[in-house]
Amino acid sequence: MTQQISETLSTASEQVFSRAKAAGAEADLIVLEGESLSLKANEGELEEHTVSNTQTFGVRVIKDDKVGIAYSEASDAESLQWMVDQALQNATYSAVEPDEKILEYQQSLRSDDAIFYPEDTGTVDEKIEMVLELEKGLVSKDRIKSSPYNGVAESSSSRYIFSSAGLNAASRSRMVYAYAYALAEEGEKNAMEGTGQMFRLTKELSIPTLIDEVADLSLNMLDGKPVPSKHYDVIFDRECQVELFSVFSMVLSGKAAKDGINPWREKIGEQVADSRLQYWDKPLLMDGFGYSLFDDEGTAAADTPFVVDGVFQNMMHNSVTAKHFGVKTSGHASRGARSTLGVGYHQLVIGEGTAAAAELNAGEYIEVTSMAGLHSGANPISGDFSLGVSGFLCRDGQRVQPVRGITVAGNFYKMLNQIQCIGDEQFWNWERSALMPSIRFADIAISGE
Amino acid sequence: MLNPAIAQSVIDHALSLGANFAELFIEKHRTSSIDTLSDKVKSVDSGIDFGIGLRIVFGSKVLYGYTNQTDADSLKKIASNLSSRDLRERVNEFISFDYRKMSDHHPAKIVLSKNAAIDSKVEYLLKADAAARAVSESISQTRGYCMQREQEIEIFNSEGLHTGDTRNYIRSGLTSIASDGTEQATGGWNDGGLLGWELSDSMDPVYTGEEASRQALVNLSAKPCPSGKMPVVIGNGFGGVIFHEACGHLLETTSVAKKASVFHDQMGEMIASEVVNAVDDGTMNNEWGSINIDDEGMETQRTQLITNGKLTSFLVDRMGSEKTGYERTGSGRRQSYRYAPASRMRNTFIEAGDSEIDDMISSIDKGIYASHMGGGSVQPGTGEFNFAVTEGYYVEDGKIQYPVKSATLISTGPEVLKEISMVGKDFALACGMCGSVSGSIPTTVGQPALKVDTILVGGNA
Repeated sequence: MTQQISETLSTASEQVFSRAKAAGAEADLIVLEGESLSLKANEGELEEHTVSNTQTFGVRVIKDDKVGIAYSEASDAESLQWMVDQALQNATYSAVEPDEKILEYQQSLRSDDAIFYPEDTGTVDEKIEMVLELEKGLVSKDRIKSSPYNGVAESSSSRYIFSSAGLNAASRSRMVYAYAYALAEEGEKNAMEGTGQMFRLTKELSIPTLIDEVADLSLNMLDGKPVPSKHYDVIFDRECQVELFSVFSMVLSGKAAKDGINPWREKIGEQVADSRLQYWDKPLLMDGFGYSLFDDEGTAAADTPFVVDGVFQNMMHNSVTAKHFGVKTSGHASRGARSTLGVGYHQLVIGEGTAAAAELNAGEYIEVTSMAGLHSGANPISGDFSLGVSGFLCRDGQRVQPVRGITVAGNFYKMLNQIQCIGDEQFWNWERSALMPSIRFADIAISGE
Repeated sequence: MLNPAIAQSVIDHALSLGANFAELFIEKHRTSSIDTLSDKVKSVDSGIDFGIGLRIVFGSKVLYGYTNQTDADSLKKIASNLSSRDLRERVNEFISFDYRKMSDHHPAKIVLSKNAAIDSKVEYLLKADAAARAVSESISQTRGYCMQREQEIEIFNSEGLHTGDTRNYIRSGLTSIASDGTEQATGGWNDGGLLGWELSDSMDPVYTGEEASRQALVNLSAKPCPSGKMPVVIGNGFGGVIFHEACGHLLETTSVAKKASVFHDQMGEMIASEVVNAVDDGTMNNEWGSINIDDEGMETQRTQLITNGKLTSFLVDRMGSEKTGYERTGSGRRQSYRYAPASRMRNTFIEAGDSEIDDMISSIDKGIYASHMGGGSVQPGTGEFNFAVTEGYYVEDGKIQYPVKSATLISTGPEVLKEISMVGKDFALACGMCGSVSGSIPTTVGQPALKVDTILVGGNA
């Protein structure tokens, strides 16, 4: 099964390029289509049932070395004409950007539907039963008072990229996921934690497993209390570690470097991290949900080593940032229907280290299992972070005390040189966006009692 | 935007399927944004979002669908699909629409559909950049933005409501980046409101640039922040994010109805220090978080949440009212047609008190003066919240000693509200974006400076 481009879309793209060419501009067009279903349960009943079906067109025009962007959610000829005219007008205000061109790709690209858009025989009724089972299963657990946030959902998205040069690219993917948070109470104590599962097919979801995981997370945190303020070794769990590396991925951005704000912009070839750190983007790993065959300019995606043996090797580039730095595009162009051309990673991967569990978990350390305030408490430009966290005080691999009401603070870029050891096994996070081993960071400031 | 005859046929169709209530939310949303990098226009982009959200209620169950299609058949098909598992005999009759034009308390002059004013906005941003870079050679970069939106909404429901509104949003700001060759630090300033580009009449680009750079330079020279529990004086304006996170979210019936708020059973109880009076007011003229009507078509209100420490009201939307029995407060809000409405904050603030900020600082033995705050978040079920200090100073023996690096403050709502011991006179508001179950919406936070006797400071000293 291969994705087909509808006649409607072909006609729309022809209209857009005809209008742009008549004005003396080259252009590309991104079309995003999405369908979704979302189900939530409360007190044994289906509480919310949401469906959607949307389409967004986004055009980029380049005329006289100036770039303009506009988008429309309406697909009629008049709206598309308005969109192109807006983009042309917007371009007149932009600074000259001689490096930004529509790439001369004339190929047709398609992702493999058999892998990324498999036929799902799961029905809406089955998913309703799943979300009811999820909520019911959680509140039936001892000391679980409610599951205020839960859901079973599916979404499918299609991405089309056309260009006036002749590019014709299409990809689509499907995912189903389930998630829940459980509010645990015992006397005056309470705790709320949650997690989720994400797969391609409904039948892969395991609601009983999710119920047990969520209940354990919340119940384990009921007796949480602060630890004394001091510096500890810290291991961020597989979810938190991915969030941290994602928030501070600006150091990998060729665009941020071109804009003069990437703190590693002049560090190519320099030691930026512990020599055991291997840090990659691997867009073609098919187990991940960040799989990409091509980027948003139509450039083929490929493995990119960012940090090898602790030395900074490459940044993420689109064609514009690549030209600026005199290198080849790395296939990291990123553009939504509403946005300008940027860069973005596909699937972050950290290479496994050599530390077996006994070494990784030796002695005393804090295992961080939940972080709050990442959007406000982390500054990618400076690297500084200070976050409210919860987790466990551990000794020799044993969780000896649940910990909450504490903060972890430091500078992420300096922390990459405070690696105690790297685990010898890699894990996907539950959203399957990154593959990493556990990393033990040494001497991190924890504020508590 | 939608032919009332189509709206009627869709809503009546939903009622014929047995729904208790049906509502159509139609939205046309123009956007325009300009980004600058140093003294160059980085990008100018614009667009129109258009869509329709259909909400159908069976008892306490909400069914919601949205689409870009405007024809009756597409909308009826969504209604039929959503209702297919709840079909029953009709329980409510359709009530003819009675169009209600609400008063506009937030007039705007330079609006997007008539004049995008790009030249003027670019001029403003480039002046702010020049002022920012003139402050010091250590200012290595600036990033400016101006975002303008015009959101037209129209609402029909099965109770005969037909109303609409046009909301004009404008927000502009600048971030300065200071560098000493090895480290970087940031500072920023922004302003906004529910009005048009005439906002520029009250903004000074030189102040914007200089203030952003001042903060960046302070942060570049900052020392590691001490950690542990200590007294903190929180500055006015965006400092109000403490109340937004520590209490505001916990008073939304979105959490209260599920008993997922620590305050769900505290109505009439003392939940804060008696010096605390708090309000959520959607009616303030041209304020960023204001609205004429909420996204369920109800005229918005001023809601006194806390009076002298006592809980006096929740923030209540239609479904929250159904589930809790409290009267609606005109607080049903959503980011766009893609979201069902939920009870949300508008302009939320702690009212002015009678203390002087100098007295607050001089009362501290060892602690922090957090003069500028960033965002935060809260876990409603437990009340655990966090918010970030973006400009702070170490205080010892009642005197400011030196600037400290950014740090997060954490506590729980019930604890911190009782730790507020002094409330200042210097009341101010500040605009921000608030993310929750019904998307990201404009909200205002505010307060005078206030003193919290003890809170955990997440420093790295």
